Amino acid sequence: MNRNKNLPLSEINFYILLAVSEPAHGYLIMQKVEELSRGEVRVAAGTLYGAIENLLKARFIVPVDGDDNRRKVYSLTEEGRQIVQMDIERMKLMISQAENCLQERKG
Amino acid sequence: MFVFKLFPDYAKEEKWLNEMAKKGFSLEKVTLGYHFRAAEPEDACIRIDFRYFKDPAEYINYCTMFEDSGWKHIAGSQHTGVQYFKRMPEAQNDDIFSDFESRAQRYIRAFRIWVYFALFVLFFMVVLLSTGSVDFRALIDPRFFYLTPGLWEKTGPSFWKAFWFETPFAMFRAGLLYFYPVSILIYLFIAAKARFLYGRAKKEPAE
Repeated sequence: MNRNKNLPLSEINFYILLAVSEPAHGYLIMQKVEELSRGEVRVAAGTLYGAIENLLKARFIVPVDGDDNRRKVYSLTEEGRQIVQMDIERMKLMISQAENCLQERKG
Repeated sequence: MFVFKLFPDYAKEEKWLNEMAKKGFSLEKVTLGYHFRAAEPEDACIRIDFRYFKDPAEYINYCTMFEDSGWKHIAGSQHTGVQYFKRMPEAQNDDIFSDFESRAQRYIRAFRIWVYFALFVLFFMVVLLSTGSVDFRALIDPRFFYLTPGLWEKTGPSFWKAFWFETPFAMFRAGLLYFYPVSILIYLFIAAKARFLYGRAKKEPAE
């Protein structure tokens, strides 16, 4: 199977994409990532900036007009939505296979 | 106070700046060296990123992202590359990077700049040599720095007159010829160092 080269998404990128499903600026993304991951993922400013740069290049997110001229606001694109969906399918398969295999061993 | 120092290794530079802060020297700006002002000695946490920006609005966006999360931008500018941040009490982490790879990436960005510099100088050297204003053979025989026709066949006072007249120009040409290769070598050396530090930073946790 010819898989998209952006898969699997890193944990940070996955949560950033979820965070910008509603337009958000940098610091808001940081807070949302922490909240969505229930405190498991804390992304620092320098790391987030680099991750945003890569997601912009991959066209998974785009800057959108905001009323704040000091902070850029980013939003999820259709391509971004698709890659998240593909990663979800990938993880669903992993989870079901893992559960099957571990169940068989038990029984 | 002004201190001139060069650091290819950002981890060492961060450590040094924190030691200076402990001695009561607070970093004010960095232009061709470090400018400090006297301050209360403190346990500072200064972190360094390497980025330059074509778009001023993007530079402001970048700095704001750091300041929002508790990192004050204390030195560096849109085009200088090296950016200095100081931890404020509200910052959650003690680093501006949360994984090794992104912390190491700053060396790759610096590496590219130094390679561009080297190529830029190389380009001018090629242009200069192709116009024929500097003769390459002068590297082996300095007489080729002198362009006066028949100079080396002259003798006595007419030789010395022509020789001294042209010497300042010959020295200028020699400067050009040596300046270009030497600066290319320096840039490539720093680039190689940055590339090495990238490989090391990828594996090692920062202090």
